Amino acid sequence: MWGVWSSRTFVIGGAAAIFAIVCVLPMASMLWGVATAAAPISLLQSAFLDARQRRLLATTISLGLSTAALSAAAGMLLGFVLARTRVPARAALRIALVAPALLPPYVIALAWTSIAGAAAFTLFGAVVSLTTAYFPIAMLATEVGLRRVDPRLEEAALLVTTPRRVLRRISGPLVLPNVIAAALLIFVLAVSEFSVPGVLRVRVFTTEVFSAFAALYDFARATVLSLPLMLVSCAAAWAATGSGKGLIVTRRSLRHVTTDAFDGWSAAGTVLASAGIVVALIVPVSALLIEAVRAQSVLAVMRSSRDAATNSLLLASLGATAVTIVALVLGYARARTTRRVGVVLDVCWLMLFAVPSTVMGIGLIGVWNRAGAAGFVYGTRAMLLLATLSRFVPAGALAAAAIVRAVPDSHEEAAATAGAGWLRTMNRIVLPQIRTGLLAVWVVTFILAFGEVGAGILVAPPGESTLPIRVYTMTANAPPGHVAALALFQCLVVFCPLALLGFVLARQERS
Amino acid sequence: MTSPTARSSAALLTAVLALGCGRPGGDSRQVTAYVSADRPFSEPIMQEYQRRTGVRVDVVYDTEETKSTGLANRLLAEKERPQADVFWSNEPVRTLVLKSRGVLASYQSAAAQGIADTFKDRDGYWTGFSARLRVIVYNTAKVPAGDAPQSVFDLADPRWKGKVAIADPRFGSTSFHVAALYAEVGDQRADDFFRTLKANDVKVVDGNSVVRDMVVRGDALVGLTDTDDVNVAIEAKQPVAMVLPDRGGIGVPVMPNMVSLVAGAPHADEGKRLIDYLLSAEVERRLAESEAVQIPLHGGVQGPRNIPPISSFKPMTLDYAKAATRVEDVTKRLATILGL
Repeated sequence: MWGVWSSRTFVIGGAAAIFAIVCVLPMASMLWGVATAAAPISLLQSAFLDARQRRLLATTISLGLSTAALSAAAGMLLGFVLARTRVPARAALRIALVAPALLPPYVIALAWTSIAGAAAFTLFGAVVSLTTAYFPIAMLATEVGLRRVDPRLEEAALLVTTPRRVLRRISGPLVLPNVIAAALLIFVLAVSEFSVPGVLRVRVFTTEVFSAFAALYDFARATVLSLPLMLVSCAAAWAATGSGKGLIVTRRSLRHVTTDAFDGWSAAGTVLASAGIVVALIVPVSALLIEAVRAQSVLAVMRSSRDAATNSLLLASLGATAVTIVALVLGYARARTTRRVGVVLDVCWLMLFAVPSTVMGIGLIGVWNRAGAAGFVYGTRAMLLLATLSRFVPAGALAAAAIVRAVPDSHEEAAATAGAGWLRTMNRIVLPQIRTGLLAVWVVTFILAFGEVGAGILVAPPGESTLPIRVYTMTANAPPGHVAALALFQCLVVFCPLALLGFVLARQERS
Repeated sequence: MTSPTARSSAALLTAVLALGCGRPGGDSRQVTAYVSADRPFSEPIMQEYQRRTGVRVDVVYDTEETKSTGLANRLLAEKERPQADVFWSNEPVRTLVLKSRGVLASYQSAAAQGIADTFKDRDGYWTGFSARLRVIVYNTAKVPAGDAPQSVFDLADPRWKGKVAIADPRFGSTSFHVAALYAEVGDQRADDFFRTLKANDVKVVDGNSVVRDMVVRGDALVGLTDTDDVNVAIEAKQPVAMVLPDRGGIGVPVMPNMVSLVAGAPHADEGKRLIDYLLSAEVERRLAESEAVQIPLHGGVQGPRNIPPISSFKPMTLDYAKAATRVEDVTKRLATILGL
């Protein structure tokens, strides 16, 4: 369509260069540290062959699989309720169901410990805590997927069969690729999460990586211990690769379209959504509220966190925007490349996304804390932006690729035949069709970027802080009530603009 | 440049440039400190120094108790091109690790003259001030004062089976305590002690404040923690009290804050002046009066309520450097013994 020297080549090349510098170089520098360490072979052996590491690997995989399965099941049901049944106050329900994702996962774990006591300090407790935090991803993915399915397909099927069979044979299979993609993302998030297993004392690979850093100050060992996480993610990606074949897109608009097909299930859907809100939001938030109201001088603590909150909102907004732009270009390239190259890219992105944040943070210091232009950037707030990019561009690119694939090549071919350049085609043809999907990428990235601590705390410039970093560094000797109040404050700060956005979009949809 | 995409890109570029230009430098007098002492107590002190001297103080706060691994690893990663001038740690292990890795520089402050030599590195790589103690905390509603354990080794007694809580000994002040024990009593006795603790179902929890909370709730009857953690509960009228362990035996473990100059510090002279201030009797008095209840190491400074002065008990005669050399080995031993 467009030649080698078209704007497409330069834009994709630019995004690839940003990806290489921001995401690949830090990990490469850490791996170089392993290669030049005193005994790299014995380090590798200890990471893969030791009986302790094998046990950790088994627990890590159990945690990831259970969380992914439970989140996907809950998310699929709730996504279906939001997309296909006539539930009252749909926008408010959606926002309430997404809200648990705004709470830092370790705060959810703390809330569950105050509810369930010793029972929370188990692998099952970690699975429940992580599912509470991550099921909204599967729910949004399901809803977006179902909105792409023309409801007329379901209505036609209803002429000859029951709603349950339509769900099983028509709606379910059509939305399955979205659910599998979300489950894969949740799996990687769960296996690379440190704070929840740390709080609940479940020994997994991320806690082992932490020990290598915090107890032994051993960068090489910590890097080597992240390799099994990357390999597990790689294996999960290969296993899920086949699911993309079944992607059928019969309708590209993501607008909500009412359908009568599942009207009979609206009452049950309302009950299900309400139960989801009670279990995932009201119960843990109530536990935090009870702690917070017991504490004294909470308002003073929150007032002193105002600058950090502003900083976080600015950085998370910019970070999510930058991630979405770079991810869009990379995702576009992946969507338009050959299947084989695409699979390799998917696996690489997923592996990079599984790198523990602390490893990435140390890698960023290694790359950017040097003389010259890099050194000028180091020590500024731009490092926090780079940390966001390094952590979330790989996941964003995966999501963007899935979204761009929904736009047929033929649309671009038609534009090219009519003489439009690539930038113009993207601006006028591709972007309008995927803007809601990109908004979802932005929102998820914003939430993740807002709560990021692991890499940010290592590269935050002196005198600067984000709200999660402030909350995290206040928790050691602050009363539990202050921790609960600050966690709720953090949730509110990110929830308010997102709720506003959700209501605006819902209003646009209605009009 | 009229399309929405172009406008958005321009806005983003402008914002990114603004971020990049937000470098906190530029002041003629500035100092950068990395502080792992708890922020609620350390922040007012740094702000007071800035207000009083006019020197811009940029601080990176962290506390390893929250499991972030932040500052020590950051200092190690920045070793070739240091950004910090001063490192203030709330316990000895990290400082001693950093000294052994060549991250710190020597500076012997005149302000430390009133501090005993035990709490100063003979080569000037660190100076201790404002100490905490490792103590035994017990639930006063369930354990009569006369029955409370008086030695760390009493915790291995079968009568405390399933009733003892300690923080994960690989991290924070507990890592210092266990390394000190190994250095003091030898590997064999220390190994035996921890094996017995394990056999007695010791509860290994996330941090010292969790130990205190478990004892307050009665989930554990006794535990090992720090003076500041116990004091929070005592001030809140919770049913707990503390015992200074081994005051008649190997001595009470004393854990000073440590302040150091960073090797290759970009503002070394300002860093030295900040160190002088931190080592002053005035800062020790403020830390003693705060909820941190830290014990002054300067003579003649009023100590905190609820905590006895150092002169009233026998401190563990500890070679901090020797204890630090044991940290890595002890960490690995305890991971195996306690199944961490």
